[in-house]
Amino acid sequence: MSNHTLLTIGAFLILSTILLGFYQLLAATGDQLTDSQDLILATTISESYIELAQGLAFDQLTDTSNVAIGNPSALTTIDLLGRDGTGETSIPTFSDFDDFNRFTVEQIATGTNKRFTTTFRVYYVNPNDLSSVSTTQTFVKRLDLKTWRSYPPSASGASVDTVRISSVLGYFHFD
Amino acid sequence: MQYLLDYLAAAILGSALLLIMINANDTAAENQSVYNGEALVQEMLVQTASLLEGELRNMGVGVPETDKSILWADTTYIRFLYDVDRDGTVDTVSYFVGTTAEMLGTPNELDRPLYRRIDSGAPLMVGSVTGFALRYLTKLGALIPTPVSSAQLGEIHAVEVTMEIQNPYAMMRTDGTVAAGERTALYSSSLWQQTRLASQNMRR
Repeated sequence: MSNHTLLTIGAFLILSTILLGFYQLLAATGDQLTDSQDLILATTISESYIELAQGLAFDQLTDTSNVAIGNPSALTTIDLLGRDGTGETSIPTFSDFDDFNRFTVEQIATGTNKRFTTTFRVYYVNPNDLSSVSTTQTFVKRLDLKTWRSYPPSASGASVDTVRISSVLGYFHFD
Repeated sequence: MQYLLDYLAAAILGSALLLIMINANDTAAENQSVYNGEALVQEMLVQTASLLEGELRNMGVGVPETDKSILWADTTYIRFLYDVDRDGTVDTVSYFVGTTAEMLGTPNELDRPLYRRIDSGAPLMVGSVTGFALRYLTKLGALIPTPVSSAQLGEIHAVEVTMEIQNPYAMMRTDGTVAAGERTALYSSSLWQQTRLASQNMRR
């Protein structure tokens, strides 16, 4: 094999490597744009749930009475945060903010075949530090959501971005 | 003879290299156009959606409790009340889509204007959409038939907005690359779907 042939083969190897990197870069950019579209949908879905949650009562107790005014210990205890009865099976049937606790729901985005799964957790938080979860009842609850595209599944080995949003709801009244 | 073979091989390899580079360049240019279109469309969508979701959130603000806040509700048309400029006077805000004929100047044959009108003023185009659909839900999540009857306007608890925006100007494709039933251009598309509470409407 002559030196020229060896040089040619070497040049082709270098060129192939460059081309491979080039096409991988193009594909990665395309994936990023697809992901950003999914994230837009995931954000709108998450915000929709927050909007619905914000329209509910603060607590099962405050939904029907005012005995919790000035007395946070009368509110639902931490271990009972969640759906209150067998009738609360879906979001439209929820009556108060913490019914979302430990709930998981999947939604199909209209006009697409994409499905988005959302999980919810509700905590009492310290009113002076909303990032701090309280071990006792307070007049502020925080809803943490995680939403991600569950269908179509990501390619093998690839990760799916998850939208995480928190929203707080306080219980107050006007004297 | 050896030199001749070397020249021949160099010519073949050089041609192959040239073809590869031309192809890569074409691919890069095509992808660049598509990605630019995607980014542009997503930006347009977010801008239009921000305006719309802000207004829907304010629906009913400043409206006396004896009055309804939603006056008309249809699949592509909504008219509601709120005090836009916080001057104590309640305004009527309408959102509706025009027709595709109003945007014949763009290559995309599906886009149409989205209008916003305050009171009886001239409609202001706030974006171009290829899909715009409104659904109205009761407190229990039941779908209300459209157009919503006057008697049911007060039952609207949530408004679901679905909006699709496509690039008005897209990368045209040559006839050979368009399969049967396909469009003649690559249009980037972005979808937005959100449920907004009309809680201030429910209290009427």
